[in-house]
Amino acid sequence: MPDTHFYRYDDYDRALVSERVAQFRDQVRRRLAGELTEEQFKPLRLTNGLYLQLHAYMLRIAIPYGTLSTRQLRQLAAIARKYDRGYGHFTTRQNLQLNWIKLEGAPDALAMLAEVDMHAIQTSGNLIRNVTADHFAGAAIDEIEDPRIWCEIVRQWSTLHPEFSFLPRKFKIAITGSPNDRAAVRVHDVGLRLWRNEAGETGFEVIVGGGLGRTPMIGKTIREFLPKDDLLAYLEATLRVYNRYGRRDNLYKSRIKILVHEIGPEKMREDVEAEYAAMKDSALKLTPETIEAIARQFAPPALRSKRTKVPEVEALKLENRAFALWLKSNVAPHRVPGHAIVTASLKPAGAPPGDASSAQMEGVADIADAWSQGEVRVSHEQNLVLPHVAIEALPEVYRALERLGFAEANVGKITDIIACPGLDYCALANARSIPVAQRISTHFAELSRQHDIGDLKIKISGCINACGHHHVGHIGILGVDKNGVELYQISLGGDVDFGKTALGTILGPAVEADKVVEAVDALVATYLEARQADERFVDTYRRIGAQPFKERVYGAV
Amino acid sequence: MALFRLNPQAVQEPALTLANTDDVLALGDRLDGVKLIVLHFPKFTDGRAYSQARLLRERLGYAGELRATGAVFLDQLPFLLRCGFDSFESEQKGFAEALARARTLFSVVYQPTGDGRVTAGQLRLRQRSAVAA
Amino acid sequence: MAKNLSGELHVASANRLRDGMVVFLDEAGEWTTRLDRAAVARDERSAEILLARAQAEAFGVVDSFLVAVAESNDGTLEPLSLREKIRASGLTFDAIAAEAVRYA
Repeated sequence: MPDTHFYRYDDYDRALVSERVAQFRDQVRRRLAGELTEEQFKPLRLTNGLYLQLHAYMLRIAIPYGTLSTRQLRQLAAIARKYDRGYGHFTTRQNLQLNWIKLEGAPDALAMLAEVDMHAIQTSGNLIRNVTADHFAGAAIDEIEDPRIWCEIVRQWSTLHPEFSFLPRKFKIAITGSPNDRAAVRVHDVGLRLWRNEAGETGFEVIVGGGLGRTPMIGKTIREFLPKDDLLAYLEATLRVYNRYGRRDNLYKSRIKILVHEIGPEKMREDVEAEYAAMKDSALKLTPETIEAIARQFAPPALRSKRTKVPEVEALKLENRAFALWLKSNVAPHRVPGHAIVTASLKPAGAPPGDASSAQMEGVADIADAWSQGEVRVSHEQNLVLPHVAIEALPEVYRALERLGFAEANVGKITDIIACPGLDYCALANARSIPVAQRISTHFAELSRQHDIGDLKIKISGCINACGHHHVGHIGILGVDKNGVELYQISLGGDVDFGKTALGTILGPAVEADKVVEAVDALVATYLEARQADERFVDTYRRIGAQPFKERVYGAV
Repeated sequence: MALFRLNPQAVQEPALTLANTDDVLALGDRLDGVKLIVLHFPKFTDGRAYSQARLLRERLGYAGELRATGAVFLDQLPFLLRCGFDSFESEQKGFAEALARARTLFSVVYQPTGDGRVTAGQLRLRQRSAVAA
Repeated sequence: MAKNLSGELHVASANRLRDGMVVFLDEAGEWTTRLDRAAVARDERSAEILLARAQAEAFGVVDSFLVAVAESNDGTLEPLSLREKIRASGLTFDAIAAEAVRYA
């Protein structure tokens, strides 16, 4: 098995995770014995990622910075098979959710996770959640620095943080190391963007108070350039201000975005800077040795430059149209010549977005061992990524993915839909999401048509909590409940590309479930008629405005 | 309500009781000579007093007794201890046993706080310099 | 099929503590996974009593509450709301099977 090219736990990390499993085992025992009430137990189980959903418990497993070794992916498959129904759901926050967990089995499932240096710590609850990153980190051609080094530093600092384990509300941090943000840093509680200043040093732009949910907001920059060794001091200062002033009187106003909105970004900056000034020379300052020791573990695999023009690839391109389309949509440039980043689409036509069976997970692990340096990534668009594939191996990788059903040439296209679990699983949802996604992806399954339509992101949430990120979909779909009937509200013009982060605008009255496909069809038809040159759907929308779309949809519906 | 104190001999007068909305950095001379500060958890999910405790201990150098009252349960103990609390009011069954175990529940800590524990990061640095030497 | 849609019929439901399964309170005061075994309250007063019984049998379940149901002529019970229909009868689409490899 190839060596991993990301952080490996040492004895300290392992000890902490197994002690956490032991603590949780005792908490479960006390609950089952009746020593803890549900009210007391619920926050305890949530801080270990265990929810109670409609039909069963759900375990949310953290995949820090979306990076997995094949050994870890195989263990996830094994856990899903042993303690669940043999499949899992990859989420928009680089987690894996198992939907049919039993409380009495959860400690053993967590112990199996700990065997491969994984956990479910802080995947729920009002505390610092799993830190997310660019899923192309370490391979992207436009990257300034690997953001996962910093994610790991933040992961350790935030794990069982004694001061910030009972915040007003959940707290999500994302880090990107590329100018082309693939981590949606402007819609997180704290977003960190690595960039290089004129002096040639890299540091962080600190963005605070973004988020989707009930009150979507785009984050505000409170510091243009933070020296990297002060990262933890600045985060601790930010969290302390939030812990103290964040609202606790109203659940819907308790995120940091509301605090920033209410006191203003200037006051937020002042308070954070004052706290930071008092702490920056404390033990939180990162030493060069500490940074270097973690950075070393993220050293990229030693890939040798290879041929970029490979006759077999060129031949297959001519002979197999699906492969040619797949190269266009699912294969991205790699920083090492002769290599590529391959996205395995977890969105085959008609399938629940982001779901993978245990057998499929094992299949992806086999492919990654053979052709991607034993490494797999989880993207926030609910796909899996093979980060280091030689171009000459693409035909074989394509065929292997095809056998798994994960070779759909649709990444970034209309059927690459993000959807939350919705009312089929979730106790908070008002409407179903997955069946809507399935109908849209079945309707638009034809690949040439998808490629003709071009880049179009549909994002579906089953309630206002917006786990499906509908606010930032080019087409956003929000399920609502009106007198027991599921209706779907459509919004247009959302985006998460860096510099262009935008929230969608509601198009008009919500439509019934069986009219959603027709409505999307009408939107696409309007775009195709109006588009100029290489305009994407969202560009055409920005140029011509909502009116033509509105007329077509409500004329047609 | 039972009281659990790590330093049973410590002087408890004069005492100062604070709400979890009080700004501890603005206490000024109200802190002078104080031997006991009582911080409040209205609900165990309301974590403001953790920040107050750390500021008192680490920023203001308060060395007297620091007591947690209100919704104080044994599962909070590892956090409370790390933030500098050394005295607890709780009704929960098994609290005394849990207090005895709380410091060893986690053999590893990542965050430097004022509790004197050596973090994983510091231990790694020591190991590396030992190897280098 | 004629249905009583008045919303006056209720069963008591909860999730079972140890595994999260959806359960209903039966006439004997036991929690069962079978909706067809559930005790049915046919008016407001008996609904209150049913809920009180459910809450008294809280050991081993989480969050008991009343579910409005309809009863067909043959006595089959069906929850009125979509959410409760899904709770009672499962996903509305086919989940992937554990060993599924779609095009293999």
